[in-house]
Amino acid sequence: MAILANKDVQPLTAAQARHHAATADRRTRLFNRCCTGVLIAFALLWLVPLAWALDTSLKPNGETVNPTWVIENPTLASFQTLLAQGDIINWYAASFIISALSAAGTVVTASLAAYALSRMRFRYRWLTFWIILMGIMVPRQVLVVPQFQELGSINLLNTYWAVILPAIPIAIAVFVFKQFFDGIPKELDEAARIDGAGFFHIYRRIVLPLARPAVSAVTIFSFVWAWNDLLWPLIALSNPEIMTIPVGLATVQGTYGIRYADTMASAILGALPLVLVFLLFQRRIVEGIAGTGLKG
Amino acid sequence: MASTEVTGQAGTVAPARTESHTTRSGRSPSGAERERRWSGHGKPALLFLAPFLLLYLLFIIGPAIYGLVMSFFHTSMVNPGLGEFAGFGNYAEVLSSSDFWASLWHTIWFTILTTPPLIVLALVFALLAERARRGRWFFRLAFFLPYILPSAVVALIWIWMYTPELGLLSRAVTSLGFAEPDWLGDPDFAMVSLAVTTVWWTLGFNFVLYLAGLQEVPRELYEASAIDGAGPWQQIRLITVPLLARTTSLVVVLQIIASLKVFDQMYIMTQGGPNFATRSVLQYIFDIGFTDFRSGAAAAASTLFFIVVLAVSAFWLVMTRRQEPEL
Amino acid sequence: MTGPPPPRSALTRRGLLRASLLGAGAAALTGCSSVSAGLLSTPPDPRSVAYWNLFGGGDGVRMRQMENGYRKANPNIALRSVTLTWGNPYYTKLALSTVGDRPPDVAASHLTRMKTLVQGNLLQELHPEDLERHGITAEKFTSRAWEASLVDGKIYAIPIDTHPFVLYYNTDICARAGLLDADGDLKPIEGPDAFQDALSKAKQVTGQYGATHGITSPSSPPWQLFQTLYAQLGGEVLADDGARIVLDDAKAKQVLDYLRMLTVEKRLMPGSVDYQGAIALFASGAAGFHLNGGWEITTFQEAKMPFSMALVPNIFGGPYKVQADSHTLVLPVRPEKDRAALDRALGFVRSMLDQSLTWAKGGHVPTWLPVANGEAYQTLTPQSQYAAAAASAVYDPPAWYSGSGSNFVNIMGSAVGAVEAGDLSPADAIAQIRSKLAVLAATASPV
Repeated sequence: MAILANKDVQPLTAAQARHHAATADRRTRLFNRCCTGVLIAFALLWLVPLAWALDTSLKPNGETVNPTWVIENPTLASFQTLLAQGDIINWYAASFIISALSAAGTVVTASLAAYALSRMRFRYRWLTFWIILMGIMVPRQVLVVPQFQELGSINLLNTYWAVILPAIPIAIAVFVFKQFFDGIPKELDEAARIDGAGFFHIYRRIVLPLARPAVSAVTIFSFVWAWNDLLWPLIALSNPEIMTIPVGLATVQGTYGIRYADTMASAILGALPLVLVFLLFQRRIVEGIAGTGLKG
Repeated sequence: MASTEVTGQAGTVAPARTESHTTRSGRSPSGAERERRWSGHGKPALLFLAPFLLLYLLFIIGPAIYGLVMSFFHTSMVNPGLGEFAGFGNYAEVLSSSDFWASLWHTIWFTILTTPPLIVLALVFALLAERARRGRWFFRLAFFLPYILPSAVVALIWIWMYTPELGLLSRAVTSLGFAEPDWLGDPDFAMVSLAVTTVWWTLGFNFVLYLAGLQEVPRELYEASAIDGAGPWQQIRLITVPLLARTTSLVVVLQIIASLKVFDQMYIMTQGGPNFATRSVLQYIFDIGFTDFRSGAAAAASTLFFIVVLAVSAFWLVMTRRQEPEL
Repeated sequence: MTGPPPPRSALTRRGLLRASLLGAGAAALTGCSSVSAGLLSTPPDPRSVAYWNLFGGGDGVRMRQMENGYRKANPNIALRSVTLTWGNPYYTKLALSTVGDRPPDVAASHLTRMKTLVQGNLLQELHPEDLERHGITAEKFTSRAWEASLVDGKIYAIPIDTHPFVLYYNTDICARAGLLDADGDLKPIEGPDAFQDALSKAKQVTGQYGATHGITSPSSPPWQLFQTLYAQLGGEVLADDGARIVLDDAKAKQVLDYLRMLTVEKRLMPGSVDYQGAIALFASGAAGFHLNGGWEITTFQEAKMPFSMALVPNIFGGPYKVQADSHTLVLPVRPEKDRAALDRALGFVRSMLDQSLTWAKGGHVPTWLPVANGEAYQTLTPQSQYAAAAASAVYDPPAWYSGSGSNFVNIMGSAVGAVEAGDLSPADAIAQIRSKLAVLAATASPV
């Protein structure tokens, strides 16, 4: 509406409008600069805890009690100690395998299911749809008690599978895929079907490649969720050799004394892989959130 | 182009959207013909759905039903089987337990403490970032990086920040001339400290949602209003914030649900203390289920907690459905 | 901003992803034993002993020395040792792993927690004939600890120490406060006023506090102090295996009033300080005394501060009592019964007993008589100065919800700590204790 009015009025008061626009422009520019300044201050504030952790981790343990940013004797000793102990290597392996297999499992099973829901007609389609919808409503956390009994009875506790298998069926992933598939013109795969292509061929060769943004969003998110999950792995993995990074950090304690440098080094090491994931896939992650509102 | 499809807001809204989509295609002229050609895909559909549904039934629906059954028995973690039948005993016990209500209140209190700053700050930061010409990647990095860290890492860092006398925050506060609060040791203050940590940790998520919402505000509106002489503050108040209403409602609900499920921070940073002041519902369930070995009672508490979360979700679903036509 | 990413960076990214996946795969294939355990649930190497403990601080250092002693003596057995977070989380993990069929071969457990594990069928009964093969017999232990560790007359746990609550004192500060005798030892302190007086004198020297102990988190130190004083008055908290609360309100109030006076009213002790903070304050000379278990001795030795240790004073008259617990070694129930594994586990237990002197240096009173009666321990100072506490040890009351780091300790310690921090009045604390304990006491034991 404003645009229309603008178009009508402009020829009449061009000079006036230009004047208005110029002052507004100047004001806006000043305002914008102030905004940027404030935001930079906040952003730096936000980085302080991470910087402080890094700073502490580079000090010798003894030096952490005189709390300054200056490191008198910078050292990697804390990192070396941790890596030499080897626990954290096992936790890396566990976290990596669990997160990778969970993410792969979610992408494959959820996209297959979503494809069926999006492109096929069959009885109980709505029932299936609603049953999966209900899954979004069930918080994983309320299932830990029965899940423990269930996985105990099939002897899967204390294996990676105890964490991987329940992490695969993420209902919301089906919806993200279905929504995306619904947006892909049906004419494409109908044409392929007329050419005699099977459903799987269409799914694999046509729909999935077109859905790459959804695939990457779901992959990254299920990976990060699996990597960061604490409650269930804490219960399912009680053998320290196969713990994931968060569980290990939360349950296995350092060897002795007040060792803030070691603790911070373990925090930094625990954070490192995800920081890399973030730096590599920053755009994808941000788009994924913006597009789907996925939240752990 | 493809990505704009995903940008169609919140996966959780999907059912409403897809439903309308299918009805639309059903109504389209070629709909009937298409329906005929596509009917009867029972077998391939089953094959496509099977892997997901199998795991889904085994690890989500199955445990959900089993948990419901268990909540009516005195099931013990260390003994096999369901144990003695308890009727509504477990529910009666949990509902009459002051610990349960206290933990529910702590969870709600945590929600109250975290939700407003997480929404207001995220909105403010996003508005500010929108005005910044350059360096948006830097703001995204600064605010979003913490969100991607595991809770255990965040907890370790903040325990160190809060360490009395030695921690960075303690020194910052004392150097400003204030008495240092006992961040995690004072029962009245511990939850506030946990809330501060949580705001730092998860703000980036809402920040990104708002940034995306801002992208959808048409540029022309700003330009036109600038020509009409509107200052930046008026633009924000009259154009931006109202147009972000939908994003805000999404953020609020996701935030509330996420806050209700809080466990990690308390478990690692305060173990629910001091004097139980920060024990959340999930930790209450964890404590009775896995420390006291009382699986039956824990299952009953889980069911009650589920009802609370479900009520919040349902409330939101009803609200957004009502909102839909207006938008 | 929403445009497609430039293809080159996408390629690099994918390349990186592929490379890291390959790396993980390679790590998995090169037979990282933890990975095959996680993926294939392979049973652990039969020629190994898995040992879990909850020893941090100085204990962690000693335990490592003892483990290395075992490794040296048994080079062909791989000892895999893990230290988990102390308290409830440790016992939760131990129970979860046993129910999940992957328990450690040997685990440390507090004596007061072991009984609940036994009732949950989580521990193997140890038969005297098996123990004898490794020279472990009843008469080689101090009787108080050995008898306290029997369950219905059966052996499930081998006690390796008694660890009483003790009094640390800074010898410099106490000398300047005139609290030491000619030999440089702490003059005897008896009665509530004498203790308060000693703290006041120390406070005058430090200018900050007389004494410290961990109050806000975790909740165990307030309970240990309370239990010591309350038991000196002859009070008990639970009866009938936890089904009945026999808290004596008058005695409890007397103890709480006294503690509140020390912290809130007279500021002789900081009221809101956590465990690490209390240690740091004492180590930095901000207080003349520190109340804690004997296990922090190593921390203060490492801090190179002048200090010594003594029995917690008999403050409330009565026969001398002091809160204590024992560390025991237990063998969780395993899915497979294997005599060779049993002997390996018991061999490890015996090795730990033989190295009791190392353990005793960490502040624990040894139960293994060959060491406890040996000259090396008798002349060990300050550790042997409070050995008498073992005979006056008061263990936490038996109940399914009781024991070291348990909900019971949590309830008691949280309330006591809240009084010391000035957040609760003694009467309110007693009411809180009663209402929280009542719930647990009314609940049938789940084991």
